[in-house]
Amino acid sequence: MARTQAIALPRERRTAAWWRTNATALLFMGPAIVLVLVFLLAPVVITFVMSLTDLATSTGLSNWQWIGFENYARMFRSQFWLVILGNTLMYVAIVLAFNVIVGLGIALLSVHMEAKAGGVFRSLWLLPRISPSVVYALMWTWAAASPPFGMLNYIVAPLGLEPRFWLQSDPWLIVILINGFVGASFGMLIFTSAISAIPQDLFRAAQVDGASALQIIRRITLPLIKWPILFVLVYQTMSLFASYEYIYLTTNGGPGLYATETWSLWAFHTALSNYYGNLDFAYGAAMAAILVLLGLGISVVLLRVFRFEQLVAEPRVEVD
Amino acid sequence: MGKRTVEGRTDGDAQYRISRRHFLISTGALIAASACSTTPPQPATQNLPEGTVKLTAWTIGPDAPSYYRRDNLVAAGETLGKAVAAKSPKTSIQVDATFESGGQWGDYLQKFTLAAEAKTSPDIILAGHENFAPWVGPGYIVPLDDLIKKYQNEGDIKDVIPTLWTAMKLKGKTYGVPQDTEARPMYYRKDLLAKMGWSKDKIDGLPDAVKKGEFAWPDFVATAKEAISKGIVGPGMGWYSRPSKGADIYMFYYQNGGETQDSATAKLVIVKDALQKHFQVHADAVVNDKIMTKTIYGMDAGKEWHPTVTDGKVLFYNAGTWTWKDWQATYKVAEQALWENVGFMLIPAAQRGGKPVTVSHPLAYAVTSNAKDQDLAFRLIANATTPELNSKHSVTSAHLAVLTTQKDDPTYKQDKFLLATQYMLDYTKFIPNHAKFGVYDDVLYRFLGAVEQGQFTPAQAVDSAVKELQGQLGDELIVR
Repeated sequence: MARTQAIALPRERRTAAWWRTNATALLFMGPAIVLVLVFLLAPVVITFVMSLTDLATSTGLSNWQWIGFENYARMFRSQFWLVILGNTLMYVAIVLAFNVIVGLGIALLSVHMEAKAGGVFRSLWLLPRISPSVVYALMWTWAAASPPFGMLNYIVAPLGLEPRFWLQSDPWLIVILINGFVGASFGMLIFTSAISAIPQDLFRAAQVDGASALQIIRRITLPLIKWPILFVLVYQTMSLFASYEYIYLTTNGGPGLYATETWSLWAFHTALSNYYGNLDFAYGAAMAAILVLLGLGISVVLLRVFRFEQLVAEPRVEVD
Repeated sequence: MGKRTVEGRTDGDAQYRISRRHFLISTGALIAASACSTTPPQPATQNLPEGTVKLTAWTIGPDAPSYYRRDNLVAAGETLGKAVAAKSPKTSIQVDATFESGGQWGDYLQKFTLAAEAKTSPDIILAGHENFAPWVGPGYIVPLDDLIKKYQNEGDIKDVIPTLWTAMKLKGKTYGVPQDTEARPMYYRKDLLAKMGWSKDKIDGLPDAVKKGEFAWPDFVATAKEAISKGIVGPGMGWYSRPSKGADIYMFYYQNGGETQDSATAKLVIVKDALQKHFQVHADAVVNDKIMTKTIYGMDAGKEWHPTVTDGKVLFYNAGTWTWKDWQATYKVAEQALWENVGFMLIPAAQRGGKPVTVSHPLAYAVTSNAKDQDLAFRLIANATTPELNSKHSVTSAHLAVLTTQKDDPTYKQDKFLLATQYMLDYTKFIPNHAKFGVYDDVLYRFLGAVEQGQFTPAQAVDSAVKELQGQLGDELIVR
């Protein structure tokens, strides 16, 4: 008995000490924790729970049943889940590369211009982002319409390209360009501010040492904006996995059999968009649950590749 | 005060007295007579609430000229209001109805589903007959059989064309009152056929030749190919099918003997042979014979499809009867120009001697479970179902009659387009009423696109589509 008390006492003291140390932090973080639980964690849990039911228009909220993992079995019984997964990975990879490379390119170009001209240049690239999604997508749809209607055909005619219905002949090209122009502006903003924050002394010192522009970018700029690059990569990856609106408004997953259908669009079509109103909420939720797992897996890989823990480690301040 | 008798007179009124024997004989005779006679239907009675009863309804076109779907309910509100006020002076009726023009069916249906779950849906919803199937399970709409019986003399619902009631039924119960119907003809350009050397008699006789099975699908394809080879129409402009999802695509499946629902079990059906022929029709048209452009799949209807066909650039094209009015209202084609240059016929039979086909998609009013007074909601629908009101809608929007009495209605009789297409209902078929029809349709439509794009041959597409349907629908599918 005495032995137990001897062990319990320090533990209580440790607990009290932990609270004394962390209470203020918890108090300040409390609202954020509540928001994360309600708006981020709860939807994931609800989605997963819903995926174990047969909830659909034909059951309503009053007539559904638990069906275990049947929705997952049904999903993998489809002959097209692998095609759609392949589409998704390709779409995310190419658009992500476009977003980061073009965004970085614009940022590098514009910060080296005269300040006013750089601002105008960046503003032009922001147009796709500030345009309403539906208007922007419809403009592309009309521009890429079949001859003789599509404006795109007139623009590329001097290059010797035959008129075509771009959304049908080259659907991926259009989908990637639409998404790429919007995404590149996001990277551009982040990278511009990150590059502008680098102390100018470093660039001047490099120039004095005779470094070329490419060497400065490779040896100074890129290493110092590694954290923003990671942020853009992870954020854009998650966004692209979940985004479907531009594909929906242009090709709607076609032409033909799932040619440009991505996983999130598949989930949307199943759960929320059916011509005859037969919405399959639970089956769509199962698809969304797989998407969450896919996103988590890829995030972990990216964080490891960029050594996230080192990036967010406490900075070591050296004092002479 | 004398003693009271059966008839309630006093003993003093001797001349009115009858014996017990006479009374029993007279009563027996009266009972027998009333049993043998046909009782005239008595108007149904309803306990009416005091004050203003607000009835709400949602309707949709999406074609702009179909606004009478809303306006007829509003007009019926006045009739119902008078009838109600006559019984209960303290009761009045107010109708709040909406009409969506130019929207999408999917969005409209989803809006209703969400409203039904939130218990904010209107009292009356207008939808396609097949939309009722998924709404019955969760109880978004109510069966109408008792109300139809109770108010059989309200409006003219007793005159609804009997086959249309069939399309309103699910597992033996009726869920809608037909609002309109249509046929989906194959339109053709008379001026282009004339350029090909066809005589006026031959052009005008085409619908009859199709009806008799003398002009069948191979003749149709040959004519379209000839028009292209002679340069009368451009490549791929011999035939334009519907460019997006819709009931029309089933015409070519039905044309080849397809079935969509088993009458005994109500399960969905796929007939492999018919499906292959259906796919072959489209593969030949786009890939082999090239009478239809490959860009048809996903073509923008408003900006490309309609402007092209109304411009007289396509020889044959499928559209609904309502499109006849839509071309005039939205695409500003004069009616006279349509009569001069455009003809309409059934979808030709697969082979000579066969039966041509079309598809109808009756729209109907349903009473929702959210309706506070389901009797009054139904009575409003019944009062909107009259030859006068339905004919106004028919002539404005080129939808066909749903009442047997409409053919004698002066307004309806004036419209020669409606009279000329009414016969198509004798050849019509419907899409099925099944809660999972949307899944079935999605698979078939995607494979049709794959065939038209040359991604699959018809035979490959059938095998793959059937496998996919079995995987998605399980026991709800019968493969023949």
